[in-house]
Amino acid sequence: MKRYISTLKFKPVMAFLAIILMLPACEIDDIPDPNNPTVESVLVNATVDDLNNLVVGTEAGMRTFLATYYDDMGVIGREHYRFSSADPRFTADLLGKGSSVLDDNTFYTTNPWAGRYRVVKNTNILIASANNTTLISDEEREGYLGFAETIKAHQLLLNLTMMYEPGIRLDVDDPDNLGPFVEREAALDSIALLLDEGAGHIAAAGEEFPFTLSEGFEGFNDPAGFLQFNRALAARVAVYREEFGEALTLLEGSFLDLSTDFNKGVYYTFSASSGDLLNPVFVAPNSSGEIRIAHPSYISDIAPNDDRISKVLLRDEAASLDNLTGKYDVAVYKSNTDPIPIIRNEELILIYAEANIQTGNTLEAVKALNIIRQGHGVGPYVGLVTKEALIDEMLYQRRYSLYFEGHRWVDLRRYNRLDELPIDRPGDDVWTSFPKPFIEQAF
Amino acid sequence: MKKHYTLKLLALLCWLLPFIVQGQTTVSGKVTDSGSGSALPGVAVVVVGTTTGTSTDVNGNYSITLPSENGRITFSFLGYVSQTVSITPAVTELNIRLVQKATSLNEVVVTGLATTVKRTNAANAVSTINTREITGITTPQTMDAAISGKLVGANVVQNSGAPGGGIAMKLRGVTSIFGNAQPLYVIDGIIVDNSSISGGLNVVTAAANQGNASNQDNASNRIADINPDDIETIEVLKGASAAAIYGSLAAAGVVIITTKRGTVGKTLVDVSQDVGFTEAAHLLGMRNFTEERVASTYLDRPELVEQFIEARDAGRLIDYEDELYGNKGMLYNTRLNISGGNEKTQFYVGGLVQDEEGIIERTGYEKKSLRFNLDHELSKRFNFSLSTNYINSIAKRGLTNNDNAGVSFGVALSSTPSFVDLFRDDSGLYPDNPFAASNFLQTRDLMTNEENTDRFLGGFTLNTNLYTTDLSSTKLVLRAGLDFYNLKTIAIFPRILQFEQNGNQGTSIQGNNYNLNTNFAAFVVNNLSVADNTLDFTTTIGATRENFNQDQVLTIATQLIGSQTNLDQSSAVTVDQTQLPVRNKGLFFQEEVNFSDRIIATAGLRLDKSSNNADVNEFVAFPKFSLALNLANFGFWTQESINMLKLRAAYGEAGGFPPFGSKYTSFSPFNIGGNPGIIVPLQRGNADIKQERQKEFETGVDIGILGDKAVLEATYYVKTVSDLILVQNVPSSTGFTTRIVNAGELRNRGVELALSSTPFDVAGFKWDSRISYWVNNSEITELNVPAFPLGGFGNTLGTFFIEEGKSATQIKGIKGDEGVVVLGDAAPDFQMNFHNFFTIKQNLTFSFLLHWKEGGDNINLTQLLTDLGGTSFDYDDDDDGDGIPNAKERTDALGVTAEPFVQDASYLRLREIGLYYTLPTSLLEGVFSGIVRQAKIGVSANNLFTITDYDSYDPEVSNFGGNGLSTGVDVTPFPSSKRYFLHLSIGF
Repeated sequence: MKRYISTLKFKPVMAFLAIILMLPACEIDDIPDPNNPTVESVLVNATVDDLNNLVVGTEAGMRTFLATYYDDMGVIGREHYRFSSADPRFTADLLGKGSSVLDDNTFYTTNPWAGRYRVVKNTNILIASANNTTLISDEEREGYLGFAETIKAHQLLLNLTMMYEPGIRLDVDDPDNLGPFVEREAALDSIALLLDEGAGHIAAAGEEFPFTLSEGFEGFNDPAGFLQFNRALAARVAVYREEFGEALTLLEGSFLDLSTDFNKGVYYTFSASSGDLLNPVFVAPNSSGEIRIAHPSYISDIAPNDDRISKVLLRDEAASLDNLTGKYDVAVYKSNTDPIPIIRNEELILIYAEANIQTGNTLEAVKALNIIRQGHGVGPYVGLVTKEALIDEMLYQRRYSLYFEGHRWVDLRRYNRLDELPIDRPGDDVWTSFPKPFIEQAF
Repeated sequence: MKKHYTLKLLALLCWLLPFIVQGQTTVSGKVTDSGSGSALPGVAVVVVGTTTGTSTDVNGNYSITLPSENGRITFSFLGYVSQTVSITPAVTELNIRLVQKATSLNEVVVTGLATTVKRTNAANAVSTINTREITGITTPQTMDAAISGKLVGANVVQNSGAPGGGIAMKLRGVTSIFGNAQPLYVIDGIIVDNSSISGGLNVVTAAANQGNASNQDNASNRIADINPDDIETIEVLKGASAAAIYGSLAAAGVVIITTKRGTVGKTLVDVSQDVGFTEAAHLLGMRNFTEERVASTYLDRPELVEQFIEARDAGRLIDYEDELYGNKGMLYNTRLNISGGNEKTQFYVGGLVQDEEGIIERTGYEKKSLRFNLDHELSKRFNFSLSTNYINSIAKRGLTNNDNAGVSFGVALSSTPSFVDLFRDDSGLYPDNPFAASNFLQTRDLMTNEENTDRFLGGFTLNTNLYTTDLSSTKLVLRAGLDFYNLKTIAIFPRILQFEQNGNQGTSIQGNNYNLNTNFAAFVVNNLSVADNTLDFTTTIGATRENFNQDQVLTIATQLIGSQTNLDQSSAVTVDQTQLPVRNKGLFFQEEVNFSDRIIATAGLRLDKSSNNADVNEFVAFPKFSLALNLANFGFWTQESINMLKLRAAYGEAGGFPPFGSKYTSFSPFNIGGNPGIIVPLQRGNADIKQERQKEFETGVDIGILGDKAVLEATYYVKTVSDLILVQNVPSSTGFTTRIVNAGELRNRGVELALSSTPFDVAGFKWDSRISYWVNNSEITELNVPAFPLGGFGNTLGTFFIEEGKSATQIKGIKGDEGVVVLGDAAPDFQMNFHNFFTIKQNLTFSFLLHWKEGGDNINLTQLLTDLGGTSFDYDDDDDGDGIPNAKERTDALGVTAEPFVQDASYLRLREIGLYYTLPTSLLEGVFSGIVRQAKIGVSANNLFTITDYDSYDPEVSNFGGNGLSTGVDVTPFPSSKRYFLHLSIGF
């Protein structure tokens, strides 16, 4: 045997050694993510640029799955039909057709929910990063914190409007250790507190923010303006909490303007620029396939001369699907770059009216409602000046003024009037809440 | 220095040898095909160990003079088993009958990165298909189509009928759910990229917007680029027991492709031309409308009845399905092969020009491929081989599959009735389709969806004989491979299209994908014979290195200016770039021991590290062991009729990388108002992610009887995949929706049987046959995340469902009050194929391939879409006779039960059939006076018939493309086609 081994000799051994030494001896470099910046890179000593990127990403992220959100709200609230040649669930599940129920594990439940929490996560990272850097001034830090908390509160509120019954999670900072689901009332209180906390930071943020917001925040992109936006959101939360006196106080700090400048406010903006989004709910008139058709009751219930009829547009041909028919397209947006309101003066006027009705100041309420009526070409209010009648009137005005902005279902629900919604097909249901997303149930 | 003198002396002697005229022997004779008996022209006849050689003439005759009295002559010819015969002065006439490589027993199979073993000694059931099976029956469009239905143990599913291919190949069942489930392709030592790169069609189709996040873009696989005609053999290492030598790259198996190479002898020139046509294999038909049916379908649009009557009376009821899918496409293939060489240098040149139309107008496939292979012996010490291939391919694929915007051909067709007029009017404009978001005739005529690839493959192997004695030889093998391509995807949707007018106002999506793979390897291989040549050791030790670089840039321009298509002729541009760099290094060691071809044992170890791993510099080890016992070679074996009885067992491990980037948690870009922004990603990174590990044990028996007249190979395997990589759905309140985790184990068990035989071999008639049977069962044996649906569109429509203790390919869905229950399984009960080759009267060959897949369910949503659109061909029929029409029954089930959508997709398919006539050599000599060596004409067809109960275009379909396990989802695919060919080939 020895002889055979010796035949190997040194030559192959040398070659082998060379290979062993040459090729794998050199280490492999750990390639950093070639495609994107990592989360860790901003958590310690973030620069103004890093933080500003987070601010812009937060604002941009507020718009994901907005179309699904408005379809959820509008279809259940019988504001419109969502006809889809590709997905039957818009006309089945959302309208409770036959035995269909809302699915806890499909896009209309999970997508908007996830989209909002993604922004919440971004605001949490922004808060952590702003608190853990020495490269910014104190005023700048207050600005970042005020922005982050205000947006976080808004995003949580949108999820709570969907999850009326299961509630939402408030403490979501640690992905491995999530806080519990909090019921609606407690969650609303926490959202109100978060807005107040944000307002405190904004008040300490000096004259200018260190970051730039899109033109959707025009007039509200400095601390003074942004504070008005924060207070407007707080007023909306206050009426949801039925704290009507507080709502009136909050409106004073908001951009409420008792005039017909209804569209003053803060918007989601859209553009065709790189990395941006187009208005996701815009559909060209007379399209077929994937379309939004106004609920026939919007047309049949509208008062004569009401200019809000322009929010819908008569189609050349009626559209039908799944035993539902409509002749009018939803036409709130005229192009795919039209902005969508986050909150605007028309809602504030209506909140003002509502808070006054609820606090017994009916004359002030009628005054506010008449601003809305006259602004839309219908004469002043001539009905009974009772609380009940004025609530009817206020809800009617909210239905038309805030059409397709995700309010009608929420409004009727808080006034226990979901049974007033029209049923189009025998066996259809009106849902009160979306179910807790399937994935959240296990954790 | 001393050594050099010896060398020089040797060289001198070699030079002088031919001049020493001493007892030469001249031998002559005829070489024929052992089966048909026909003469074989062009067979290389070489005296072993010399440069003396000749080749047979057109009649198969040869004459050769040996330089010495005694010697050995080798007869070799492509596709035949070489024969070497010892010559003594007594031999003057020698007729040789060469045997075609039919049962493949004499071929070698891969056992290591630089070693092979005779198939009779192999411990693994390595599936091999050769030229005759790859391209011998008919002309496949692409390399992937060439292997469909041919490999035992493989479940190959064509994703759609779109020109340019696209397959999902599962070797021995599902091997990964979210990791790479497609095998590694190696061509002549080059690790070849097989990406399926999306052309960004989702911008228009919005397919990923609801229900399923997959883009469903129906991209082809890049392996489709390879010219099937260049391939000599395809060997498939189906599991880790054979593929462990490829380590981390091999979890889904390895497909080793060897291309044709030149042989010593006269230069052979072969030119062949195929002309054919293609048509839809199966169309469903359209609904026959009547006034009542129009009225009842379009309840709210009574005016349509008028429109229907008008169209009917004018004879304008259009079969739009036929209008769309009824194109008869022409197929042209031109090939030129030149091969030859002398003792030192052999070459092969393969050229292909292919131009094929599809069954939808303006679709098709074009390819130009040029291959040059060279083998050269520099000296006794050094030889090298070179493989090069340049390919240009263009696939025009139309717009099919699922979409949520109503724009793909099939989805728009599904809601379009026969009485509407969609044709271009005299002014050249198309009417809008009032029944869908798009007019598919307009879309077809004006859109573009192309994949345009330029690719270069280069492989180089240098063998150095380091040291040779009688008993031991040591060689160094250095190998380098390079695969470069640029894939340009072009998807253009002009502004004038119906859905563009209402949407993006013109969309131009262009992708530029750069891919460069390089791989290097170095091995030292030692062969050692001891104990009087009864015991052989083969020792391999080596190192490998792989660098993969892919850079995908996708640019989307919308709001185009007029009819312009350039990216800058637009008012909105978005860009997406993804880079995928991977660096791997490995060490490899293997010892093979062969005791007189009786006991063959192998042990090997591969150590890998990779930039894809969480810890990039930690070695991951993959061992393998195997043992084969050739009982018939032992002294005690007396059973003459059984010439081979082999028992074999093999165990091995292989790995699978997590999807690229799963270790990072990185922001995604998201802009607004012209400012750059970042937002947390949807997927949370996992810094502890590990490779999937596959452990496979296979055992089997091979029996050869009557001199290999029949060979049975039977194999049983158990394959487990542990550390299964899963995308865990995390509560989206964390801000993330998914996380990649190692959280499960999956097991495949199966049986493979292959019987190769020559039932008849008499003068004038020969029949070769191969029958294979294979079955695989999978089970998720461990799952540490909640059971989850996958790869479908939810419970309402039927979805795959990953659940512990259940089949990995089970399909679940709602079923009335029973809730969500198992409705089917995508895995077939078994598959069989029947390969048959007949040679009649020497000149006529007839061959066919039948493929039978029994069981295996699909999720058929094409039927649901046509039902919902009111256009199903059997809409008003009542198959079960219960008084409720089919379509109503099926659509009423929507939301109640998913049962009607989960359908059995068994089929029996005549995949290939071919009949060829070779002109008699005597005729050729007479007419062409010997210039023409061979002339052959033939006819062939592909997918001539399919017997199935499945209610859509093709039971073989995959809306979600090749990866993962969700094949068999059917959403208005590009229908499959039949192909008919006339062949002519001439050899000089």
